[in-house]
Amino acid sequence: MKNGRAWALLLMVGLGIAAAALIASPAGAWLLHPATPVAREVRTLFYKAVAVTAFFFILAEGLLLIAVLRFRAKPGVPAATWHENFKLEIVWTAIPAIAMVILSGPAFTTMKYMETTPKSELQIEVVGHQWFWEYRYPKYGVIFANEALVVPFGKIISANVTSIDVVHSWFVPDFGIKMDANPGRINHVWFQVDHPGTYKGQCAELCGVLHGQMFITVNVVTPEEFERWIEQKKKGA
Amino acid sequence: MEAGTVVARPGPYAEAVHPGTTPRTGILKWLLTSDHKLIGTMYIWLAFFFFAIAGAFAMVMRTQLAAPGLHVLRPEVYNQIMSLHGTFMVFFFTIPIMAGIANYVVPIQIGARDMAFPRLNAVSFWLLVPAGSLMLASLFLQGGAAAAGWTSYPPLTNRQYSPGPGVDLWILGLHLAGASSILGGINFVVTILNLRAPGMKMFKMPMFCWTVLVTQTIILIATPILAGALTMALTDRMFGTGFFQAVAGGDPVLWQHLFWFYSHPAVYIMVLPGMGMISQILPAFSGKHLFGYKGMVLATAGIGFIGFLVWGHHMFATGIDYRLRQFFSFASMVIAVPTGIKIWSWLATIWGGSLRFRTPMLFALGFIALFIIGGITGIWLALVPFDVQVHDTYFVVAHLHYVLFGGSLMAIMAGIYYWLPKISGKLYNEFWGKVHFWLTFIGMNLTFMPMHMMGMLGMPRRIYTYRPEFAIWNHIASAGAAVLGVGMTIFALNMLLSLWRGRRAPADPWNHSDETRTLEWTVSSPPPAENFHTIPVIR
Ligand SMILES: [Cu+2]
Ligand SMILES: [Cu+2]
Repeated sequence: MKNGRAWALLLMVGLGIAAAALIASPAGAWLLHPATPVAREVRTLFYKAVAVTAFFFILAEGLLLIAVLRFRAKPGVPAATWHENFKLEIVWTAIPAIAMVILSGPAFTTMKYMETTPKSELQIEVVGHQWFWEYRYPKYGVIFANEALVVPFGKIISANVTSIDVVHSWFVPDFGIKMDANPGRINHVWFQVDHPGTYKGQCAELCGVLHGQMFITVNVVTPEEFERWIEQKKKGA
Repeated sequence: MEAGTVVARPGPYAEAVHPGTTPRTGILKWLLTSDHKLIGTMYIWLAFFFFAIAGAFAMVMRTQLAAPGLHVLRPEVYNQIMSLHGTFMVFFFTIPIMAGIANYVVPIQIGARDMAFPRLNAVSFWLLVPAGSLMLASLFLQGGAAAAGWTSYPPLTNRQYSPGPGVDLWILGLHLAGASSILGGINFVVTILNLRAPGMKMFKMPMFCWTVLVTQTIILIATPILAGALTMALTDRMFGTGFFQAVAGGDPVLWQHLFWFYSHPAVYIMVLPGMGMISQILPAFSGKHLFGYKGMVLATAGIGFIGFLVWGHHMFATGIDYRLRQFFSFASMVIAVPTGIKIWSWLATIWGGSLRFRTPMLFALGFIALFIIGGITGIWLALVPFDVQVHDTYFVVAHLHYVLFGGSLMAIMAGIYYWLPKISGKLYNEFWGKVHFWLTFIGMNLTFMPMHMMGMLGMPRRIYTYRPEFAIWNHIASAGAAVLGVGMTIFALNMLLSLWRGRRAPADPWNHSDETRTLEWTVSSPPPAENFHTIPVIR
């Protein structure tokens, strides 16, 4: 029985460490390769949140573990009788409250940053359909659906997002972007991709039978390549 | 909390509630009863029946998701099963079983003979039977069950996109369940405010009664809003009223506001009574008073109140106004403070105690360990930019299961193991109880911890299959689900075996210390009809 208890505790410690490691490890793709300034800001905010909350996490789980190890009932050792400590209660109310106020600072700054579009250099429209995405380039008169979105890197791109039928959500993790596409409403996002490449995402709001197949591909190319591509598209259309 | 001192002399409520009734036997005893103990027992049975079904749905989903590209379920069937899993776990398991345990325990804990309105109590229970059955039956109708998730966002639920009767029966089922909740809410609030034994002042009530009082008040305020929204959704479908349809001058986002105005407080409806159970089980098995009783009461009320101000944190990606998001974000972070008070107070309760690791205690300690994780990810999710990044991904699925499985379900298990000997009068096998705990604790982490990773990698929730890059984490989660399945089977067998041939339970099978013994442990197991021969007077 004594042995079993040791194993049980070992297991609990192991699970605790695994939990902390899993939550904190930067294995998420957007954490490793944030592709836009917004995604980088979100990552910084995430690390700040982890730093602030890790203190409380370790303290609480640690105290729990120590209490379980130390205060097992032993014959002849009576339980303590105290059950109040006003000062302690003030402390554990005030400190988390202060921590939350501190954490709200960077959260609101980042939010403001996401919210304010710098002067945009290319405007696109994203329209959700059951179950594909339609993209429009109003300036070029180009409209197509069910293919990769193509944008130039380094340029500030603003997108109006809406839907033709049910609610969808345009989600590209590496860009730090998720925006619901609501029918009858137009939502607004912006992004500026650092490097050329292919970025993947998919619809994030349940939109019916094939919600799981509503993929997003964004090909980010050089501005020259983009000009060539859009000219071709114009001719094709 | 000094409910331990019981002086046996008749108080003003000494006369019986049902004078002159002869006890019925057989099936009629259950069908016609208005006894809170029988009704509470039936609530618990019915909730576990729905739990088995919703749990089986989860198993089927984890089988479909065990590897990418499997064809266990067709996509439309997956969506139905997924929607019913959520709906049943919330509305037909967690909320009713909390009501069931409260039904059984609260009147005894406050020294009453029954609920204030015994017949209304029976109505509350019986409404749940057609509610759940109708919704289940919709699986077998043309077009199948509702498939828009437990959140059922329009326009997907409009007739145009969900033509079959599934959504109509979903609405009807929730309407009935909501009516059951509201009637129960009235009953609990009146009972707790009016039927307390002489000397049982509000601030002498056991913590569980406080959490039930706050929970039932939340139910009374929030559930009518849900009922209104459901009616609007129904008339949209039946008469084309267009409340939630942009082309008809309505707004799909309005549903999200109304739905979450109910459904965020519903999280506390599901968690607060569990916290009440934990607040009694920890002292019982530590031989120590609950730490900071008044602080705990205030924290409970605080969570209940702030819980009404945070619904918008489910809508950070919807495109609602910047200032609204700021408000909802900060309010959601504030909830961490009263939640923290509870966690610190529980830790202070066991600190210096004389801990006995019986099955209810293991589940209570497991609750704390897991709920801390759900609380921390909850703070992260309150931060708008991070929330937008992982909203509607598996990260949220992980978070909500740490709150509702790690929180509510662990507490429910703790409560069931704690009060089962009282309810059935039978003891259960402690060894298999502990096996159940360890399988649940390990299986829970195996299943839901990897979901944080899936979400961080960008795997959306509610998809019937996924891109290959998410495979490894899904393998682990499905293996974890299998462990949970084995654990729950052991639980069911252990409980049934205990009912069939368990040893008789004494009045207080847990040997409570004098400070931690609440009234239910002063009467026989199961308690006599009308609970007390003479109503206790609390000193
Ligand atoms: Cu979708
Ligand atoms: Cu919420």
